[in-house]
Amino acid sequence: VRCQQYPPLRALQASAALRGASDEHKKEPWASSSQQHFESPPAGHQPEEKPQGPHPSYTGQGGQESEDYESEEQLQHRILTAALEFVPEHGWTAEAIAEGAKTLGLSVAAAGLFHSDGSELILHFVSECNTKLSELLKKEQKLVQLGEAEKKPVDEFLRDAVEARLRMLIPYIEKWPQALSILLLPRNIPSSLTLLTNMIDDIWHYAGDQSTDFNWYTRRAVLTAIYNTTELVMMQDSSPGFEDTWRFLENRVADAMTMSNTATQVQSTGEAVVQGLMGAAVTVSNAGTSRAVR
Amino acid sequence: VPGAGAALRPCSSRVAQDGINQPVIDRIIRVDHAGEYGANRIYAGQMAVLGRSSVGPVIQQMWNQEKNHLKKFNELMVAYRVRPTVLLPFWNVAGFVLGAGSALLGKKGAMACTVAVEESISEHYNNQIRTLIEEDPEKYKELLQVIKQFRDEEQEHHDIGLEHDAEATPAYSVLKTAIQLGCKAAIFLSERI
Repeated sequence: VRCQQYPPLRALQASAALRGASDEHKKEPWASSSQQHFESPPAGHQPEEKPQGPHPSYTGQGGQESEDYESEEQLQHRILTAALEFVPEHGWTAEAIAEGAKTLGLSVAAAGLFHSDGSELILHFVSECNTKLSELLKKEQKLVQLGEAEKKPVDEFLRDAVEARLRMLIPYIEKWPQALSILLLPRNIPSSLTLLTNMIDDIWHYAGDQSTDFNWYTRRAVLTAIYNTTELVMMQDSSPGFEDTWRFLENRVADAMTMSNTATQVQSTGEAVVQGLMGAAVTVSNAGTSRAVR
Repeated sequence: VPGAGAALRPCSSRVAQDGINQPVIDRIIRVDHAGEYGANRIYAGQMAVLGRSSVGPVIQQMWNQEKNHLKKFNELMVAYRVRPTVLLPFWNVAGFVLGAGSALLGKKGAMACTVAVEESISEHYNNQIRTLIEEDPEKYKELLQVIKQFRDEEQEHHDIGLEHDAEATPAYSVLKTAIQLGCKAAIFLSERI
C-alpha cells in the first residue's frame, strides 16, 4: 500500500506527560524514574483501561512495543479523528485538536504533539476522505463485476466520483478555504500533492483507464484540473444542495470529453490530409517523369 | 519516525498486491516498458530506410518480437498500476531517429546499432533478474520468467546483428560506445521520471 506518511513533529515524551493528567489519576510508573522520564517510551496504554501496575515492557530505551500498546502514530490518528468533530466550531486549529484529545480522556496538552496551524489535522482529514473514496469505488467495482450493477460510462463515473469526494467536505465547508490555504504552504505541498495525485489516479483506475502512453498524464492532469476548479466553485456556492457546483462539474467533465473527441478527430483528419498530400505529390512526380520520358 | 508497529498509517489506499516491493517493481516495469517502446521505434526507423533492402525481412522479424515485448509490458503496467515514463514522446522521436540514422549508414550500420542496443538491454535485464532474485524469487516468479525470456530474445537479436557483419561498420567501436552511453542515460532517466 502506497501510504502517505507525514512525520510526527514532537517527540513522544509529550504523550507521556499528557497521559499523566487523565481523569483516572493513574500513577505513571516512570514518573519516579528520572532515567525513563527522558526516554521515549512506547505509546502508553489505552486511557480507558483500569490503572495497572508498572508494565514489564517499559525498558525505557525506545521500548519494545507489544500489542497492548498503540504506537505513537495510532495515538495521533485517534486524536486527529476525534478532533474532526470540533472543526466546524474551532476551525483547523490546535483548539479543535485539544477538544478532540479531551474526548479521549487525554490532556489538552496533546495538541502539543502537532503543529499549531492544524496541518496534520487537515492532511489526516484529506487522507481519510481519500481512503473512504477508494473503498466506495472498490465496492462499486465489485458490484459491477458481480453483475449487480451497470458499468457507468466514463463521464458519469468521473462525475460521480468527484461529487462523492467533494460531498465529504460539506460538514466542514465553512472552514475549508482556511484548510486549502494551509495545504498550499510550502511545507505541506509534498504531502498534499501526493495525496491529490494518488486520489486522482485511484479514480481513473476504477474508471477503467488502461493507458500506457502519454494519455496517462493527460487524463490525470485534466481530472485534477476539474477537481480543483470544482472544489473552488464549491467554496463560493450558496445554492441549495450545492446544485450549482454539480452543474459546473457536469459541464467541465462534458468539456473534457468533447476535447478528447475533438483531439481524436483532429488527428484522423490530419492523417487523412497527409495521405492526400502524399498522393498528390506522387501523382505530380509521376506526371513529371512520364512527360520527361516522352 | 513513526512507530514500528504502525498499522494505521493514514494513506490513500493504493491497492498493492500483497507484499510486493512496489517502488522496485514500479521502476522495473516503467524502464522496461520505455525500453521496449524505444526498441520498437528504433526498428521502425530502420525499416523506414532499409525496409525494401535485403535485410528488410530480418529487421521486420526482430521488430515483430519487440512488438510482442511491448504488448506484454503494457499488460504488466496496467496490472501493477505503474505509471509510464514522462519521456515517452521523446523516446518516440529519438528511437526513430536513431534507427533511421543508423540505417542511413547502410545495412551494416543498422546491424551495429542493433548489436549495441541489444547488448545494453541484455545487460540491463540481467541486472533486473539479479535484483528480483535477491528480493524474492518466489514472489516475483512470473515477472522473472518474462524478463528471462525477453533477455534471451534480445540476446538472439544481438547475435543476428553480429551475423550480419555489424562489426564491419566503419567506426564500429565509436558508434557502439556512443549508442550504449545513450542507452545508459535513457535507462537512468526512465527509471526515475
